[in-house]
Amino acid sequence: MAEPFSSTNTEPPAVEVVGLGKNYGPVKALDSVNLSIAQGGYTVLLGPSGGGKTTLLRLLGGFIRPTAGKILLHGRDVSGLPPNQRPTTMVFQSYALFPHMNVEKNVGYGLKIQKKTKTDIAASVERILSLVGLEGYNKRMPHELSGGQQQRVQLARSLVLERDILLLDEPLAALDAKLRKDMCIELKRIQEKIGITFVHVTHNQEEAMTIADRIAIIADGKIVEEGSPREIYERPQRKFTAAFVGENNLIEGKVINVNGDGLTMDAGFAELAAITKKQASVGSEIAISIRSELIRILDGNDGQAEGVQKIPATYLEEVYLGLTTMHLVRLPNGVEVAVRRISDDDADFGGTAGQEIIVGWNREDAGVHTD
Amino acid sequence: MSALLAIRDSLMGERGLQRWAFYIPVVFMALFFAAPVALTLVWSVFERTMFWMEPGFTLAAYENFFTSARAENYVYSMIHSAVAVVVSFVIGFPIAVFVRRRVVKAAQHRVILLFILPFMISELVRVFAMRPVLGRNGLLNTGLMELGIISEPITIILFSPIGVVIGDVISFLPFMVFAGFLAMEAVQTYIFEVCDDIGVGRARTFRDIIVPLAAPGIFAGGVFIFVNSLGVALVPTILGGPGAVNAGLIVNQAIVALDFPLAMAISAIMLLTLVVLLYVGHRLFDLTKILQPIS
Repeated sequence: MAEPFSSTNTEPPAVEVVGLGKNYGPVKALDSVNLSIAQGGYTVLLGPSGGGKTTLLRLLGGFIRPTAGKILLHGRDVSGLPPNQRPTTMVFQSYALFPHMNVEKNVGYGLKIQKKTKTDIAASVERILSLVGLEGYNKRMPHELSGGQQQRVQLARSLVLERDILLLDEPLAALDAKLRKDMCIELKRIQEKIGITFVHVTHNQEEAMTIADRIAIIADGKIVEEGSPREIYERPQRKFTAAFVGENNLIEGKVINVNGDGLTMDAGFAELAAITKKQASVGSEIAISIRSELIRILDGNDGQAEGVQKIPATYLEEVYLGLTTMHLVRLPNGVEVAVRRISDDDADFGGTAGQEIIVGWNREDAGVHTD
Repeated sequence: MSALLAIRDSLMGERGLQRWAFYIPVVFMALFFAAPVALTLVWSVFERTMFWMEPGFTLAAYENFFTSARAENYVYSMIHSAVAVVVSFVIGFPIAVFVRRRVVKAAQHRVILLFILPFMISELVRVFAMRPVLGRNGLLNTGLMELGIISEPITIILFSPIGVVIGDVISFLPFMVFAGFLAMEAVQTYIFEVCDDIGVGRARTFRDIIVPLAAPGIFAGGVFIFVNSLGVALVPTILGGPGAVNAGLIVNQAIVALDFPLAMAISAIMLLTLVVLLYVGHRLFDLTKILQPIS
């Protein structure tokens, strides 16, 4: 998978953090993180709440000071600089507008502070408001705007400063699902249009998938994994990623045999073969992951095909979710597994509760996780 | 018969009692708030007699007020009160901001409650205690002279309008701290982060953001202090000298002189002053915001 923003030129990355750490008392919010973000892309820091992603973003913005490590923005060490002297600007999670100023004043205030002339300010404000889709809202007060519009104003207030890196701290968290989706596409469009680096924090993986060029998964104060949305979704490397992103079924066990292009794992109830280039020694604990849309309930013929891993299971129940239907089955070791199918294809699929069935997947679809 | 029972129930039954209980505050306010205000206006136009007054209509009391030195003193009293408000703002509001910004959230309310402590001491004692501090041979003068900062005692700070302003500030400063603290609720933490991000300096943040957002609360605190400085006779009685009076003391003197219509007229003028003040404040800051929850 090609990295869309691997730099072919000699420009330093927009963001480079080296051994970055932040402690709150005895709690390590961030623990020697190394991360590099190329210029001009849309990067999402994705992870569970309390995992340290917001801490990382606030460190980049200069709102908190690191306990250890360095932050380089465009190759310049900014670790000791206040927020306004960094090439960054932040869009906050809350509707962080000045409640006593109308849209135009909120957006233009930063330029006023920079002592720009009134004509310049008015022109910039007009341009930015049209970029974020708020033409004609100049005189509205924040309390007269919807949540989505308020976030657009915040975005405008940041963009008008014309800094090179935009930090977004869960900017869509307070919006409802439909609006969030629209705003995602809108944010992506704006980023592509102006071409500056966006770094966006969210715990919502759908949001991350929609919007990101690159995703960095952060949990327990560490970067777990980085990659394009497709890599992260289709080929998660770490077990945590597999469990966190998408709907992966994880089966754990011990390696009993290793050969050239794969290995065999003893899951307790069956021996599962998987194809992998990863190094794993016999006897080590690993996990195999298989996405719910790639696992199937097999009928007699299907099971004979080449390269299919079969295991016995017990059918539990069917959960209708609209576009897809989820079938829950239980493996002999007690682990519940989700099998997802497009609902329309599903007329005579499934089974009755307690029925003994066979589930299976193509061996090349399974992921192997050694850590 | 059943109709009578229904009436009895509506008056005496459980529901009836609940309904009456609702009116108790209304009755209380009418009796002890609205009525005295109305009577003040009515009595101010009564005829003065030797020891009391009799019904009639005359503007003699108002004429007396506006043609004597009292009107001038009243204006000075307003100026001194305004100065006390400004000084209280300069000292008290930063305290409120400091507590909001720098004290741990859980401890903020306790710290603010400390400012109630002075109210536990009788105001008479509290104000009187300023005398040995501000006097010619008082703590302040002796201290400054010992340090060699001054060679002559400063006498302008006691038995003078300045003494009255000092007394007012010391007496009523907590109002500004309380009101400012409540007003700072309207200035949420993110505001300061946004300012840091944009690069708004401290003075600018204070002027452009904090003060406008906290304005209704600051104004409310200011009104409390202004009204008290104008009306509490105790402070100028103890700390003011000749000529350093406030409206409350002028009223006091009228009562002592048994000129009740004059006392009522001055009170009515104070009332009018306050109404005008509140109206202007409301037009400027929308005072209903003080009681609105912050979303």
